[in-house]
Amino acid sequence: MSEPALEAEGRQAPHKRLAARFGRSESAVAQTLIAPGQLLLLFVIAFPAIVAIYISFTGWTPESGSLWYQAWKYWLWFDNYWEALSGGAFWHAILRTVIITVLAVAFEFAIGFALALLFLKQFRGRSLLTVVFLLPMMVVPAVAGFIFYMLFQTDGPVNAGLTILLHDVLHVTGGIHIGWLTDPSLVIYSVTIVDIWQWTPLMFLILLSGLVALPEDQLNAARILGASYLQQLRYLVLPMMKPIILIAVIIRAIETLKLFDSAWLLTQGGPGDASSTISVYLYKTTFIATRWGYASAVAILVLIFVSILGMRAIRPIEAATRETIEELATAEPADEAPSLEQEIEAGAVAR
Amino acid sequence: MLRITGKVVSIAVLGAGFLFPLYWILTMAFKPQDEWSPVGHVYWTPQHWTLDNFRQIFGVAQSTGFFTAAPTDATGPIVHSIVSATGGTLLAMAAGVFTAYGIARFRAGGSFLPFQILQLRMFPPVAIVIPLLIMYSYLHLVDTYWGLILIYGAVTFPFAVWLMRSFFVEVPREISEAAIVDGCSQWGAFFKAVLPQVRGGLAATALFVFILNWSDFLLALVLTSNRVQTAPVFLNSLQSAGAGQEYGPQAALGLVLIVPPAVFGLAIQRYLVRGLTFGAIKR
Repeated sequence: MSEPALEAEGRQAPHKRLAARFGRSESAVAQTLIAPGQLLLLFVIAFPAIVAIYISFTGWTPESGSLWYQAWKYWLWFDNYWEALSGGAFWHAILRTVIITVLAVAFEFAIGFALALLFLKQFRGRSLLTVVFLLPMMVVPAVAGFIFYMLFQTDGPVNAGLTILLHDVLHVTGGIHIGWLTDPSLVIYSVTIVDIWQWTPLMFLILLSGLVALPEDQLNAARILGASYLQQLRYLVLPMMKPIILIAVIIRAIETLKLFDSAWLLTQGGPGDASSTISVYLYKTTFIATRWGYASAVAILVLIFVSILGMRAIRPIEAATRETIEELATAEPADEAPSLEQEIEAGAVAR
Repeated sequence: MLRITGKVVSIAVLGAGFLFPLYWILTMAFKPQDEWSPVGHVYWTPQHWTLDNFRQIFGVAQSTGFFTAAPTDATGPIVHSIVSATGGTLLAMAAGVFTAYGIARFRAGGSFLPFQILQLRMFPPVAIVIPLLIMYSYLHLVDTYWGLILIYGAVTFPFAVWLMRSFFVEVPREISEAAIVDGCSQWGAFFKAVLPQVRGGLAATALFVFILNWSDFLLALVLTSNRVQTAPVFLNSLQSAGAGQEYGPQAALGLVLIVPPAVFGLAIQRYLVRGLTFGAIKR
């Protein structure tokens, strides 16, 4: 009798236990594993959703003198929804948010991509410089808002710097007194600039990691065939990078649509409502106007919009991760009984 | 030659642009009050370096400013930030690690669950603030550590799940199977065989989630007032309280706030992209 045969016989008993565990108890284990997380989500979703929907149909506020569950006393049906959808304030907030998002993501992509191309080849001090370009991303967003609040003061360093450049050096203008935070037509661009400063690094990092992973022989082949740099970019790099670019853009867009922290410290949505993003608008209706019924209706509308957007936006991310999930899906059935039989067969053959 | 010069110049210009705001807060933190923002003049560098701003936010010295009404001692808020961000991270990790393993190893909750969790990230937190406040006032969680920790844990839970999932997927199933063959239960296999394989991933995920919790402003602004007010909210209150601006102490506090995420962020630099893209892009 050979050694493998002994081994195979000795392993028979544990195999049976293995089958039992994989069969029945596996789904129980799986359920137990995800239970705490499900509970946590229930806590932030289920109850708040019910309360928000209920209150959104009423004119209740915490100042109205009755408790929230008595909000039915102020029942308004769809008045709050109608007010939001037919009035200007809600749509303007959405429009501002969309403008900020489109501009910010476009600039973040352009600057981030240019930087990634510059950083693709090794040069002296590259890793140190990479760190420099990553730093803004680590800054707490509220602090970023405060930094730009200092910079954008009318007699602050940005205007002073522009004066030095355009007046003292180039002599094309007088002193610069741009109202970055006070001019209603400008403030949303100031808010956008903060977002660009803070999040271009993320775009840079994602795109750089994508560029590094590109197959080099194809690029080399194109170069040998005489493709110019721009041609290589247009016909090779961009198409190959498409999935990564898509994910980067989507993730930035999702986050920018929620923009609050830096905008709040920079302008508090002002002057007036000139830089109120949808989040700032919601905050102001909740805590400054204290119109909780109306604010709840707006919140529900926003959640609906975001859900619709989210269904589409998730697809590329899903596609990027599906690979591994499908690997698991195909591995799964082979794991239960068959793998056991295969091993026994292998043992039998050895015998 | 021309191309190299162009490259150097563009990197230098962009680098200066991205660094200047950081330079500004760094130097502002060391400027005495009369150099913060005097009318009609900008101090590009501190003329008289001082540590007064740091003394003020750490409560060693009281604000000396003539028009300062607001107290500038930020030690309390900094402690609150540390406790609530750490607690929220522990909660998100505790729930997230198990969920991630359930998804990665058993596809628990079907193939839709991970994306459901991901979609949560798209909702602006301000949209759930009203029901949250109502619920919290019932449970007496407003302005408490537990209140902040619960919501921080829930909000950063999706990141913990997705990042940990990307690490668990990389562990070959054979490892847990071998442990079970050796007589471990599923749980034993998870704790003794699988978890040690993802130690690095655990650390990276925890630091990443900590950075997110540390950076929160909105939730703490809404849910805390005095007892557990966090540092970013305190920074904001200094801003709105001061008709005479508190630039110096604010900058010092901002700098203190930047340090932990910067240190942790650089430590887990390799995993930042993975974390922020929900594991979709692995380097």
